[in-house]
Amino acid sequence: MKETAVKDKNITVVEKTREEQAEAQFRPLQWGLIRRLFSYTGPVKTKLRVLIGLALLRAMLLPALIFLSSRIISGTIANGEIEALPLAVLGFALLALFTEGMMHWRQKFALEIGEVVVNRLRHDIFAKMLAQPMSFFHRVKLGRIISRVTSDVETLRVGIQNVFFVSLVQGGQMVVTAVVMALLDLKLFLVVLAMAPVLYMINRHFRVKLSKLTRATQESFSRVTATLAESVTGIRVTQGFVRQETNAGFFRNLLSDHSRYNLALARTSGVLTPLLELNSQFFVAILLLFGGWRTLHGDMSMQSLIQFFFLSNFFFAPVATLGNQYNAALMSMAGAERVFNMIDANPDWEDKATAIDLPNLRRTGGASEDAEVGARVELRNLSFGYVPGKKILHDVNLVVEPGQAIALVGHTGSGKSSIINLISKFYLPTDGEVLIDGHEIRDIRSLSLHRQLGMVQQQNFLFAGTVFDNIRMSKPDATEDEVREAARQLDCLDILEDLPKGLSTDVGEKGAALSVGQRQLVCFTRALLADPRIVILDEATSSIDALTEALLQKALRVLLKGRTSFSVAHRLSTIRDADQVLVLDQGRVVERGIHDELLALGGQYAELYQQFTQVDEDQGEKP
Amino acid sequence: MPDEPPPATAATVPTTGQLVRRLLGLAWSYRLHCIGIILIQLVLLTMGIFGLSFIGVGIDYIRHVLTPSVEAPVMPLGYALPLHWEPMQVLLLLAGTILALAMIRAVLNYVYAISINVLVHKKLVLDMRGKVYDKLQRLSFRFYDANTTGSIIQRVTSDVGAVRSFVDQVLIQTVIMVISLSVYLVYMVSLSPGLTIACLATTPLLWIISTVFSRIIQPEYAKNRILADQMVQTLAENVQGIAVTKGSGREEEAQARFDVANNAVLDQQHSIFHKVSLFNPTVSFLTRVNMVVLLSYGGVLVIRGELALGAGLVVFAGLLEQFSGQVNNVANLANTVQQSLIGARRVFEILDAPIEVKSDPEAVRRPKLKGHVRFDNVSFAYTGIEQVLKEVNFEVKPGECVAILGATGAGKSVLMSLIPRFYDATEGSLLIDSIDVRRIHLDDLRRNIGLVFQESFLFSNSVAANIAFGHPEATLEQVTKAAKIASAHDFIMDLPKDYDTILGESGNTLSGGQRQRLAIARAVLLEPSILLLDDPTAAIDSETEEDIFSALDGAMEGRSTFIVAHRLSTLRRADYVIVMDGGRIVQKGTHDELMSQHGPYKRVANLQLVDGRELSQSPFPQTEKEDA
Repeated sequence: MKETAVKDKNITVVEKTREEQAEAQFRPLQWGLIRRLFSYTGPVKTKLRVLIGLALLRAMLLPALIFLSSRIISGTIANGEIEALPLAVLGFALLALFTEGMMHWRQKFALEIGEVVVNRLRHDIFAKMLAQPMSFFHRVKLGRIISRVTSDVETLRVGIQNVFFVSLVQGGQMVVTAVVMALLDLKLFLVVLAMAPVLYMINRHFRVKLSKLTRATQESFSRVTATLAESVTGIRVTQGFVRQETNAGFFRNLLSDHSRYNLALARTSGVLTPLLELNSQFFVAILLLFGGWRTLHGDMSMQSLIQFFFLSNFFFAPVATLGNQYNAALMSMAGAERVFNMIDANPDWEDKATAIDLPNLRRTGGASEDAEVGARVELRNLSFGYVPGKKILHDVNLVVEPGQAIALVGHTGSGKSSIINLISKFYLPTDGEVLIDGHEIRDIRSLSLHRQLGMVQQQNFLFAGTVFDNIRMSKPDATEDEVREAARQLDCLDILEDLPKGLSTDVGEKGAALSVGQRQLVCFTRALLADPRIVILDEATSSIDALTEALLQKALRVLLKGRTSFSVAHRLSTIRDADQVLVLDQGRVVERGIHDELLALGGQYAELYQQFTQVDEDQGEKP
Repeated sequence: MPDEPPPATAATVPTTGQLVRRLLGLAWSYRLHCIGIILIQLVLLTMGIFGLSFIGVGIDYIRHVLTPSVEAPVMPLGYALPLHWEPMQVLLLLAGTILALAMIRAVLNYVYAISINVLVHKKLVLDMRGKVYDKLQRLSFRFYDANTTGSIIQRVTSDVGAVRSFVDQVLIQTVIMVISLSVYLVYMVSLSPGLTIACLATTPLLWIISTVFSRIIQPEYAKNRILADQMVQTLAENVQGIAVTKGSGREEEAQARFDVANNAVLDQQHSIFHKVSLFNPTVSFLTRVNMVVLLSYGGVLVIRGELALGAGLVVFAGLLEQFSGQVNNVANLANTVQQSLIGARRVFEILDAPIEVKSDPEAVRRPKLKGHVRFDNVSFAYTGIEQVLKEVNFEVKPGECVAILGATGAGKSVLMSLIPRFYDATEGSLLIDSIDVRRIHLDDLRRNIGLVFQESFLFSNSVAANIAFGHPEATLEQVTKAAKIASAHDFIMDLPKDYDTILGESGNTLSGGQRQRLAIARAVLLEPSILLLDDPTAAIDSETEEDIFSALDGAMEGRSTFIVAHRLSTLRRADYVIVMDGGRIVQKGTHDELMSQHGPYKRVANLQLVDGRELSQSPFPQTEKEDA
């Protein structure tokens, strides 16, 4: 981790570089990775073969064009063969037409193949991500997943669309040109050849330096934007605390820092470009001197000398390009490694192969259509820890009869959410068992359990799209009537229809267009539509103001009716109605029973309860 | 990016002409630097042409020595070779000259690269970004309400970049291009006017094709960017909403949604690929046509002896190549101009935006206010006529605490925002210590007010720096004292590096309750006489709420406090409560008074009090849900 400290009076500001930036930028070429990457061209295999042929063809056509034009100048024209000229030029024109005509396919196929690979990689990454258990999402940051699908996949696209085929063409072009030059005059060619490594080394040296500097520049810029983003988000704090001047000074420091890196970058590339040009001029001078000497002594023809002028340029041009391509190839390797690591990552756990579908008692007869058959849930000696050796739950036992409502109460970190995560099979127990309708949770297919689960969380996440789309999320084949019916049951159809465009209202990014209460109603409807047998409410009403809450209470009761429910809540109304209240402390159940019993007990629950209300006895009487 | 209409910015939209004039003015302030850059480029250009012509001369000279029938070349600048020189001496001279020129060019190229980057990065961008940022910090909240965070960030980053590109890429490059094209042209014409015309015949065609192509392809690229953004957005959403997807067992549908977005990108690309792969070969073929013309027409000229082979034909081929490079730049120029104008418009919008809330020039200085606040018939509307506050009247005496209750959108937060003048009242007046707030020096006013928001924003900085945010010179002692008042000292000491612990982005490493207590400490450190608490416990578990209350009790002591709250426990702490609905005060009084009235307060209170009653009347019969 790199720290850039900027002195801000007596307080040091440290900007951490983001985790993603600590990832390797380059990786050596690995045959395995390259092969695997090309295996993604499966559906366009034929195109790939044609393309390789086209690239090789181009590697020959390009030198042929140069050879022909230099031949015309140094031969036909220099010798004054005016009758031969039209035919020669026509030949050149036709060859040029053919070369560029082929280029259309060469370019098109390369672009298409690259895009197909990118598309399939993205699909695989996403599929793999979905297969991961919840622990993955707690561990891996969103930014990291996004950069797999964007910047990393992008380096692979470049790798295929550009690096591979451009290198093929340019490398081939060098070889063919070299052969032609060697045939024209071997000695002069050897001189040319001696220059190539020098040029290549110079180029490599600077490229490495440049890409390091580029990275440092990008990092300094991301510090600028990060600070900027904070300034914008925190503008109320800044203005409220009159910090404009101080912030502006700080920001200017970051800007100068960024400008310093930019200049360093410019200085390096400012050396490279002239150096490359100098090199080619140096070569021209040698050619003139050494080639001229050989020509004057009759060791070489004038025609060959002129052709050398043209061909040698053509021989050197790919050197710089290939250097860049090599750099890009190493970047592709680093990208490929990360992408494939993600695709190959084994989930912490998967459903057993022998796992069965949890029978849905509500649907499979046993009871009539409208029967209220909640699931029976049992926890036996349940222990759990997110990280090994650090248990969050200890020996929890609980029997929940179908249709019962359970409230989980306790301080932050007491294990309420963990119990919910285990019942949802988002995590697997470390020890002990969770039984649902008598089936051990490890023996149940996750999907079949989740289909019978309705969940509402504190962060009522809505997807971009309409209210209707969001409600239907839990049952994608639901008709509009079904959606309306669900909303009607929750007594909130009128509220949803009162939205600007009714059910077709766009919820906006992260649901910004809806109020918190409205969003939560959408979530409730979403949960109800799935007709779940188990309902899980994780602080479902805590982010809502008191006036909206009254509205939700009613919806909540409909949702819970006839279903087995688990609520993590601090609203008393929810707790009071529960069939069982579990009071948790540091991962253990310390008290259990119904509200009144627990209150009478005068233990932890009563104490928590006091904090909730903070109402003096004498205030309560007023009717 | 959404180009939302910016309400709180410059009233009139500048025309393109005004914009260009203003950008030219900007470039004018760096004129010496710009002219220097152009001069260097001019020298480079001339030297390049000379270098090229020396190669041509070399070829012709060797030919002349081998076959004396070929005319001896004329040296550039009419320099005459000493007659007694050996051929190798001449070649040595030529080669040496080429090298020398190349070396000088290399140095000059370096100087050129540095000076243009100094101009751009050290002057232009630095100045502009600094200015825009400065301005942003001072703009009123109205601006921030109207623009998304992304859009504002973009103004400082890419939009400033666009303005800069007007100077270094449009302006300077245009001048350089015009000069170099004319130099090339003049030189080519001096070699052979006919050949020049013949070879450049395809150039206008090239221009037209490039322009048309970029017109066609730009919208497609723009569309592609949108599709790609949607794909990433779908991914991001699915990660953020993973619990919803997994919790309802809808992974297949999620995959299907992503595939739709992913394939949309692929499908749209096909048309782009087709066009690109038609355009590029066409352009290369056109340059090859130039070669065809050169070979045929130029060949005839050489054979007729009207043009030298080396100094004429070969040099011409070289010039042609460089010429077509410059021509290609012209096509890009049009795009750059367009983009830089869009960016410039957005940057100038910020620079021109009026600062709505600022100190009156004759403002009174009040380093220490007593904290007597009076709302006198205050109304407020964000924009237009819809008032979000209507004729609000109330008074808070120094040290008093008023609680504000109301539903979302009732006007609570707005009411609070008027006190530190985040907005100014549209009607009526707000008096502090009997002075209209608009007449108090803004810095003094705000320094006398401590703020705690619903969700407190903490900066990626040390705990100490965050607490001392409003008073960077504070000593650690003062910081500790504030932290103790806010009941934050204990948990801070438990952090890895106590007061020096760096908070993650947006303070991620702390719990909601801890963050709120830091925010309270931050407010208290200023020893403000007025404390504004905007629903400070909204985003906190009620279990930890108690910690906050002890913090608040410490903070409120001896200060005029405004607190937005919903919980009875909080409301009861206040000296009196105002209940707001639809921008009006509908109820006002102490808790007891309001409990004895039929009204919204009692309704809310009852909802919470059901439990309160139980406490004294226990055992409470376990009834089925009692619905009202």
